[in-house]
Amino acid sequence: MTDSLDTRAAAATPVRVAREIRGLSDRAIAWIFVAPTIFLLLAINIFPLIWTIRLSFTNFKANRNRDLEWVGLRNYERILGDSDIWLNMQATAHFLFWTIFFQVLIGFTLAYLINKKFKGNDLWTTIIVLPMMLSPAVVGNFWKFLYQPQIGLFNYVIAFFTGKEPSSFEMLGSVNLAPWSIVIVDTWMWTPFVMLICLAGLRSIPDYIYEAAEVDRASKLRQFFTITIPMVLPFLMLAVLFRGIENFKMFDLVVQLTGGGPGSITELTSINLKREAFEKWRTGYASAYAIILFVTVFGLASIYVKALNKVKER
Amino acid sequence: MSNFFTGLLRLKRGPWEMLATILIGLGVVMLMQPFALWLYTYSFVVTLAGTVMFIIVSHFKE
Amino acid sequence: MSSFSVTEPSARSKWFAGTLVILYALITMVPLAWIMLTGFKSPSDAISYPPKIVFEPTLEGYVNLFTTRTRQTPEFLAANPPEKWYEEIVREYDMVIAGPSKFGERFLNSVIIGFGSTFLSIFLGTLAAYAFSRFKIPLADDLLFFILSTRMMPPIAVAIPIFLMYRQLGLSDTHLGMILLYTGVNISLAVWLLKGFIDEIPLEYEEAALIDGYTRFQAFYKVVLPQAATGIASTAIFCLIFAWNEYAFAVLLTSGTAQTAPPFIPTIIGVGGLDWPAVAAGATIFLLPVMIFTILLRKHLLRGITFGAVRK
Repeated sequence: MTDSLDTRAAAATPVRVAREIRGLSDRAIAWIFVAPTIFLLLAINIFPLIWTIRLSFTNFKANRNRDLEWVGLRNYERILGDSDIWLNMQATAHFLFWTIFFQVLIGFTLAYLINKKFKGNDLWTTIIVLPMMLSPAVVGNFWKFLYQPQIGLFNYVIAFFTGKEPSSFEMLGSVNLAPWSIVIVDTWMWTPFVMLICLAGLRSIPDYIYEAAEVDRASKLRQFFTITIPMVLPFLMLAVLFRGIENFKMFDLVVQLTGGGPGSITELTSINLKREAFEKWRTGYASAYAIILFVTVFGLASIYVKALNKVKER
Repeated sequence: MSNFFTGLLRLKRGPWEMLATILIGLGVVMLMQPFALWLYTYSFVVTLAGTVMFIIVSHFKE
Repeated sequence: MSSFSVTEPSARSKWFAGTLVILYALITMVPLAWIMLTGFKSPSDAISYPPKIVFEPTLEGYVNLFTTRTRQTPEFLAANPPEKWYEEIVREYDMVIAGPSKFGERFLNSVIIGFGSTFLSIFLGTLAAYAFSRFKIPLADDLLFFILSTRMMPPIAVAIPIFLMYRQLGLSDTHLGMILLYTGVNISLAVWLLKGFIDEIPLEYEEAALIDGYTRFQAFYKVVLPQAATGIASTAIFCLIFAWNEYAFAVLLTSGTAQTAPPFIPTIIGVGGLDWPAVAAGATIFLLPVMIFTILLRKHLLRGITFGAVRK
C-alpha cells in the first residue's frame, strides 16, 4: 500500500520538492504514532504479565512484608491437583455450556424472525439489544432484587404460572437453583449479542443463492439446511467463541448476583481467583492460577482471531 | 485427509493451525470436564502446548 | 401486495415473525421497566407482596439516593419546619437531611474516568491505527494480534500485578491510575476498530493532498481525520460504555476517592437492610445514558461488539 502511494506520489512530483513536502520520513511518523500505544500496552499489560509469571513461582503474600521464596512449579502442581478448584471449573463449565446453548437457540431464532423484515424490525431489534449494553454489576444487583423469594417479581411470575408458593423456592439460596439463576440472567443479557451476529450472517447471504435454489425446486426446509445454516455457521462460531471467552472469565455479574454461593456452588473460576488473591492474599499461588486462566483465554483468543479473519474475508 | 498429512509434512500453515486449534480445544475440555481428575491435571500442559504451537505455526507460509 | 421476488417473505410469515419478536422484546424489557418503577416506590411498596404494579409514585428513592439523613426529636422537628420539597419527604419518617450522600461524587468519578480514558484511548488509538493502516510496520500482524489479545485477558488475572504496581507507584484509588488502566484496556479495541475504518478511506485522497504540497502530518489531520469522524465517534462511544460499565478493576483498585458508580450502587444501605428504591433510582440514573447512547448508536453497534468482524 505504502509503496504504491509513495512511488505514485514521487512519480508525480519532482524529487527535490518531494523531499521538502514530506518533512519527517514516513518511518519516523509511523514510529511516533505507534510508540505511545505500544508503551502503554507494555506498561499496563505486558509488564504486569511478566511480573505475574515471576510471582507464580514464589510463595509471595502481598499483605506480608517478607522476602519471597522460590517454590518452582509447586503452585501449579497444587492448583492442578486440587479437586476443589476442579469443582469450580465444572461450575464454570455448567455456566458456559448452558448459557451458550440457550443464547444460540434463542438468538438464532430471533435473528431468523427479524430477517423476515417485518415492519418496524429496526426499532424492536434496538430494544432487544438494550440489556447487553448495561453494566453487568448493576444488572446482577437488580436481578438479585427480582429473585427475592418473598417480594421478588421473578418468583411471583413463576408462582403465577405454576401455582407454587412464591416463598417456597429461593433462586439464589438453593443449591439446585442457583446455577440456573445465573444462566437465566446471562441468557437474558447476552442473547441479543448472538442474535446480532446471526443477523449479520443471515444478511450476508446473497439473494441469488436462494433464487437459484428456487429454480432447482429445492424445498424451503432443504434450503434452510443446505444454504442458511452453512452460510451462518462461521458467524455462529464467532459468537460462540466470543461468549465462551467472556463467560469463562465471568466475574461482575455473578459476583453481584450470588457472590459464588450458596457454599461455592456458583463460584466460577474468576470469583475463586479473586478469593485467593484478594481475600486470602496467597499472591504467588493466585498468580499461578491467573496464568492458567490466562493461557486458556489466550489459546481461545487465537482461535477467535482466526475465525474472525475467516469471516472478514467474506 | 491425505492432504492434511502432506500439508503437515510441508510445513503448510493451514493443517498445522488446525492441529493447534484441536489441541487448545482438547485442553479446554480437559480443564472443565467432570469425569476424571487426572484429565484436569494435564489440561494445562495440553492448552499451553496448543497455544505455543499456534503462535509458531501462524508464521508458516500458506 | 404480492411480491415477485422469491426471497421476499409472505405477508403472513412477516406478521407471525413480527408478533414473536415483539413478544420477546416486551418480555425482555420487564426487568428493566420493573427496576425503573421501583425507583419511584416508597420502601414499603417496593417490598410488598404481591408485587405492586399500581402504587403512589414518590421521589423518596431519589432523595434517599442523593442525601444522608438523621433521625431527630419531635421538638427539633417542630422548631424547624421543612423548607424544600425534599425535606418534606424525609419528615414523614421523623428525619432531617444531614447532607449530600456519596452518590453524586461516585457518579462524577464515573464521568471523569470514563471521558478521560475514552479521550486518551481515541487520541493514541487513532494515531496507531493510522500508522498500522498506511505504513509498513515490521511484525504488524503479530503486534495487532497482541493488541487484540490484551483486551481478552481476564481482569482478575491482570488485577494482581496492577494492584502491586499501583501500590508501589501510589496510583491506587486515584483518577489518573484508573484512567491509565482503562485506557490500557480500551486502546486495543480502539486501534483494532479504527484501523478498519481508516482502511476504508481511499488512498487517493491522501495522494492528492500530498501532491498539493501537504506534509504527511497535514494530510493526516486535514484529510484522514474528517473522513474517519463517524468511525472515531462510534469507537469513542464503545470505549466510554466499557469504562462506564467496568466493575472488576474498579472494585479491586478503588475504595474511596476514585471509586466509580458500579461498585458503589450495590452498597447503598437504608434503614434495616438495602434501600431498594434508592438502589433502583441509582441504577436508573446510571443505566439511562447507556440506553440513550445505544439507541443513537444502533447502526454502528455491531462493528464495535464483534471487534470489527461484521461491518453492517
